[in-house]
Amino acid sequence: MRTGDYRASYAQDEALFVTPVQRAWLLALIVGLAAFPWAAGSYLTYIAVLLGIHVISATGLNIMTGYTGLISLGHAAFMGVGCYAVAYAANAGVPFWIALPLGGLASAAIGLVVGIPSLRIKGLYFAIATLAAQFVLGFVFREWEPVTGGVRGVNLPAPSLFGLAIEGDRAVYYIVVPAAVAMLVAARNLFRTRVGRAFIAIRDRDISAEVLGISLLRYKLTAFAIGSFYAGVAGGLWGYFFRAATPEAFSLGLSVFYLAAIIVGGLGSILGGILGAAFMTMVPEALRAIVAWIAPWYPPATVLLSPMREIVFGALIVGFLVFEPHGLAEMWRRVRRFFHLWPFKT
Amino acid sequence: MVDSTRRRIVQGSLAAAGASALGLPLRTALAQSGEIVIGAAPPITGVFAFAGAAFQSAFLDWTEWKNAQGGIAGRKIRYVAEDSGYKTDQAVAIFKKIMANEKPPVFYGDSTGWAKAIAAEVTQLGSVLTSGPSFSSDLADPQKVPYYFMAGPTYSGMIEILLEYVRREAKGAAKPSVALVYSDTEFGRDPIAAAKSTAAKLGIPVALEVVTKPGGVDVSAEVIKLRRAKPDYVIFHGYVLAPIPEFLKQMREAGMKTVGMGTIWSMDKSTIDKMGAVGDGFVGVMPYRYVFDSQKTPAMELIREVGSKKGGTAWQTLFYTHAWLVGSIFAEVISRTLGGYKELNGPNLKAALESIDKWDTGGIFGVPVSLKSHSIPVGRVYRATPSKGTIEPASDWITIG
Repeated sequence: MRTGDYRASYAQDEALFVTPVQRAWLLALIVGLAAFPWAAGSYLTYIAVLLGIHVISATGLNIMTGYTGLISLGHAAFMGVGCYAVAYAANAGVPFWIALPLGGLASAAIGLVVGIPSLRIKGLYFAIATLAAQFVLGFVFREWEPVTGGVRGVNLPAPSLFGLAIEGDRAVYYIVVPAAVAMLVAARNLFRTRVGRAFIAIRDRDISAEVLGISLLRYKLTAFAIGSFYAGVAGGLWGYFFRAATPEAFSLGLSVFYLAAIIVGGLGSILGGILGAAFMTMVPEALRAIVAWIAPWYPPATVLLSPMREIVFGALIVGFLVFEPHGLAEMWRRVRRFFHLWPFKT
Repeated sequence: MVDSTRRRIVQGSLAAAGASALGLPLRTALAQSGEIVIGAAPPITGVFAFAGAAFQSAFLDWTEWKNAQGGIAGRKIRYVAEDSGYKTDQAVAIFKKIMANEKPPVFYGDSTGWAKAIAAEVTQLGSVLTSGPSFSSDLADPQKVPYYFMAGPTYSGMIEILLEYVRREAKGAAKPSVALVYSDTEFGRDPIAAAKSTAAKLGIPVALEVVTKPGGVDVSAEVIKLRRAKPDYVIFHGYVLAPIPEFLKQMREAGMKTVGMGTIWSMDKSTIDKMGAVGDGFVGVMPYRYVFDSQKTPAMELIREVGSKKGGTAWQTLFYTHAWLVGSIFAEVISRTLGGYKELNGPNLKAALESIDKWDTGGIFGVPVSLKSHSIPVGRVYRATPSKGTIEPASDWITIG
């Protein structure tokens, strides 16, 4: 049983992982992530890559919405900007390790422009402004044919490193997962700095934050730029993964998907973004696996039970919101607390 | 126990040696045993669910019937499918899962997006032949998408068939004009450039081009434009139903005699019936014979017999016929590959596919068919009279290209 959180130096105070147990778990996680594609099949590796991309994007939205209080319904469009920018750069021969940050920066630049109305409007009104951005950018994706390839989209070459093509799910996994880990660590650290705390202050009460000397212009736009950067990198990885960028991939439905992910996972929590993205990615897969498991014994099950799957998924989301409004991250904290204090009652 | 194991090893060795003695490589001998898996990711839920459920029923019924007939080259077929929800990432996940677990030689996907997303991987794998409900012109390219085929003409081909029909119907020296109305989607825009080029080649003027939102229903402004342009025919593409009935209604109210035309996914009888009386005279291209066609053919009678035995109405749809045909093509390709004592892999299946020439589909197509760029460039124009519940042939079978 842990009896307290004892920190004897500034180094310990600044550490992300304080106890030896935490560091051991972290090491196990890193080893597990590194070994995963070799132990899992191509299907699970594919799901892991998809999850990695969703985690990065959901974390970006969490920075904007969960931490700064700027509701965005245009997150998929920012991903699209990143994806198309990466596609354009990749087809011009730019290596992936330059193209990916470029995609993020392109998305951040667009995010800055879209974030400007946040200075005058907030809440649902601002959400509608970002919804407009979703549609405007969707229009640009469809119509700016020389760059985006129009409705047919554009293909991307396989990323390469030192002349070696990075092809297949396993190879892409080793780009996506390190990128996701690095961006999660960066996000975690962001909220230990003045900038991150300014975001939280703005979310909690923007007028009070301004009175305290926080520039709303600067920090709201910074939050939007950082969140969009995350979306842009996720979009670029999406492009490299599917080797195609099409307007239909970055629809309003995907924006809602990410919003649902951070609400289910837990707003204003890095872990919430991870758990929410995992929930939204894995639960439909698990439900489909159940239907597939029944199908050999009862072939019409695929037709009869597939629509039920959508209903069950929706009911699960509603159930989580009703029984745990603080999201999966809070449930996880409770579970941890239980084991910290075990065998005593929490 | 030991004896029986030893006996099996000896028998296996003798069988392998026998196969080698007959000039068959061992791997071929092994490839010709066991069941054949057909993988699929049909869209049973989502926006294309109206077709996906019928695809699923057709594949299940076809598999059961084919197994009752002895399977393919004596090998039983097993159909493994999961609902894609018409979402590309889910369809790709299903493809990877089924490929990893079952290693099927053939796979049926759910969309153009899916086919494009997995194209590079399928080419790299070189072990599976794919198909799907997409007739996108981009996919009829054996150089770029070598392991995909479509069970019908491309969308561009369908419009070419309609334009050929327009040309044949022309009376006198003046060529009738057409207008192109399409949705602002990949599906809608796919054949437009080719349609304009074909129209120019046939000397048919394109009077107007109208792009609509995918779900748009307010078409008053577009109908005014059509009224001014006065085309003899309007080709609608990129829709299933809406906004075609609204266009037809307002065109009729405006006193226009223009004939509405559609492509495959607008031509199912259930869709046509929903048009009501405004759909009377609507013509469209269908690659397949309708199950209620007055001319009886073996394949359509079989679909009727198998489908009606199962109950429901899925078998009456063109979606069911489409999936049944895809199953038949899979069987034909596998049968030709195994018949040549070859392994069931991508290059061999592709070669077998490309060897299909003047193939009798039992009447699903009205003429023997040959493949062109992994598509079947054959179709027929039908005229609908929804007020009487009829769809009658308006042309003979037209082969293009």
